[in-house]
Amino acid sequence: MSQFMQWIDARFPATKVWNEHLAQYYAPKNFNFWYFFGSLAMLVLVNQILTGIWLTMNYTPTGEGAYASVEFIMRDVEWGWLLRYMHGVGASAFFVVVYLHMFRGLIYGSFRKPRELVWIFGMIIFVILMAEGFMGYLLPWGNMSYWGAQVIINLFSAIPEYGDDIAVWIRGDFIISGATLNRFFALHVVALPMALLLMVFLHIVALHQVGSNNPDGIDIKKNKDENGIPLDGIPFHPYYTVKDIVGVGVFLFIFCWIIFFNPEMGGYFFEPPNFTPADPLKTPAHIAPVWYFTPYYSILKAVPNQGGGVIAMAGSLVIMFFLPWLDRSPVLSIRYKSPIFKVAITLFVVCFFILGYLGMKAPTEMRAIVARVCTIYYFAFFLLMPWWSQWGTTKPVPERVTH
Amino acid sequence: MKKLIKIASVALISVSFWASANSGEALLPNDEMPSYSDDKLVESMQNGMQIYMNNCMGCHSLKFQRYNRSAKDLRIPEDLMINNLMFTAEKIGDPMDNNMPTAMAEKWFGTAPPDLSLVARARGTHWLYNYFRAFYLDDSRPLGVNNSVFNNVGMPHALTQLQGLQDKSDKVKGIENDIDYAKGDIATAREELKRGGKGRELNKIIDESEHLIHEKENELVKLSQNGEYFTLIKEGELSAEEFDSAMVDLVNFLDYIGEPIKRDRKSMGIFVLLFILFFTAVAYMLKKEYWKDVH
Repeated sequence: MSQFMQWIDARFPATKVWNEHLAQYYAPKNFNFWYFFGSLAMLVLVNQILTGIWLTMNYTPTGEGAYASVEFIMRDVEWGWLLRYMHGVGASAFFVVVYLHMFRGLIYGSFRKPRELVWIFGMIIFVILMAEGFMGYLLPWGNMSYWGAQVIINLFSAIPEYGDDIAVWIRGDFIISGATLNRFFALHVVALPMALLLMVFLHIVALHQVGSNNPDGIDIKKNKDENGIPLDGIPFHPYYTVKDIVGVGVFLFIFCWIIFFNPEMGGYFFEPPNFTPADPLKTPAHIAPVWYFTPYYSILKAVPNQGGGVIAMAGSLVIMFFLPWLDRSPVLSIRYKSPIFKVAITLFVVCFFILGYLGMKAPTEMRAIVARVCTIYYFAFFLLMPWWSQWGTTKPVPERVTH
Repeated sequence: MKKLIKIASVALISVSFWASANSGEALLPNDEMPSYSDDKLVESMQNGMQIYMNNCMGCHSLKFQRYNRSAKDLRIPEDLMINNLMFTAEKIGDPMDNNMPTAMAEKWFGTAPPDLSLVARARGTHWLYNYFRAFYLDDSRPLGVNNSVFNNVGMPHALTQLQGLQDKSDKVKGIENDIDYAKGDIATAREELKRGGKGRELNKIIDESEHLIHEKENELVKLSQNGEYFTLIKEGELSAEEFDSAMVDLVNFLDYIGEPIKRDRKSMGIFVLLFILFFTAVAYMLKKEYWKDVH
């Protein structure tokens, strides 16, 4: 065996990579609950790719055949229903774990120097994921697929001068049609997954260059033993691999409970109107995007002018890229930040949930006002962060991690 | 940190509560459908299939489903199925399609009768159960009937032979008349407001009328809850109770057709979850063992 590995290592850095990224990659020993979601996101990514490959084996990407082929998968393909539910519920699960993963970064300051690139690569992953989710949602060719895509692509018409041409260019037709479905299929199964994999690779390379942050926001490389190993660090493998497997178990329990007992999740994961075929002549009574887009959709609708709404929605994502330079607090972690931060972030979470809820609902006057208040807070949270993050008194940060 | 989680979960719960409280749309009648399980459910679905094949299949295909799959899942012997339930198909493996010409059907009904393979998933069983029981006499409609759950539906009352014919009860008609008048008052008041009438008086009329409509709608709900929404004006082959029970069967069948794997996945799911529980327990013990050396 060792001879075999020597042969390999002379030609390919197998042992070196194994050690650098797993067996001798030292992670802080005080990771808590919030640190499960990175590896879980990876698990869901693998799930999406594998189930996706098998779904494409029976899916027909044409306007005439798409809807029927999905039902063929649900009824006639052996275990096809399981593949589809794993993929469909997996899409929602992806956003759940990614949102929690991002929230972890937010509360423990994981985006701060020197992890700016980790954060930016992560944000790019998030944006690609949104595109991936949006395009995948068109593929079942249900009526909500159709009209959801219609509404979102029409947003591009708001761009002055060239808007309509751009919308036609995206659709490949004057309305959403088989041409649109075809290109969305190509992007969904080839282009975007490749981009996603590349960015995930870069995300991890960047992370392993600087090392993981931790709930205390302390740099564990400051305290090393005589061998140069961080005193508060433990090798990722086996310690965090065995720990993450426990997380995987808990995640799979919830994931499978949904798949086997409640795949529609009350209409949030699979929306009832999407069980009728796409019909360009029948607009659903109320068009709402899937739950993971609704906070941004709410921001879009909160601005009275359509062009302004599009800019606000794009801005709500763009602004997050700049987070590493907006937070000026002397400490990283919520544990040592001033109470002002705790209040600000709690309000941010509440606003985000309210925006998400309002995005699913038909607009009323009252809801529009609430959405506007929340949108203003959303932007204020980020734009004013350079100032408010310096207010208040921080607690002293300990030398070593608390474990 | 824990506080934060607490606050977030409270917010989440209250938001979801708010959502569920708001989702109740006005459906009249709005009766709960009894739910069956095990053998009773299979029997009900079998009966539902019989009703469907004899009364609905002529217009509404179930083209994504195959006969033999239905036979297997509903425990109907294949020869029984071929001889008694297959009117338009040749082979037991054929999809449950019909020969309705779409273009002609559009001429006949204004809209082609849709395929109903997924109707239970799109509409939900609660909606279907009430819809099937909500046809009533309405001379103003081209086919002589209307539906209180799906207003101005293009479909005739296909099950009139079984149910007979019902009309809205006199009480309901009276209340609906009052609502129409109140709506008329509101419309007139709004017109006059536009033309510059006395704002104060007109707004008072609008407020009062809206209040009245709200009250009257509540009365309708109460009537429906007491089973006084419709009165039977022509007897059918089935009594009211028998018809309701037949509609439960029909909905159970459509629910099955919407997602044939539903019952199986639930029974499978229990074993999947038990395995994951066992797996997680082992993984947890493994983690404990490894982490002993971390101080």
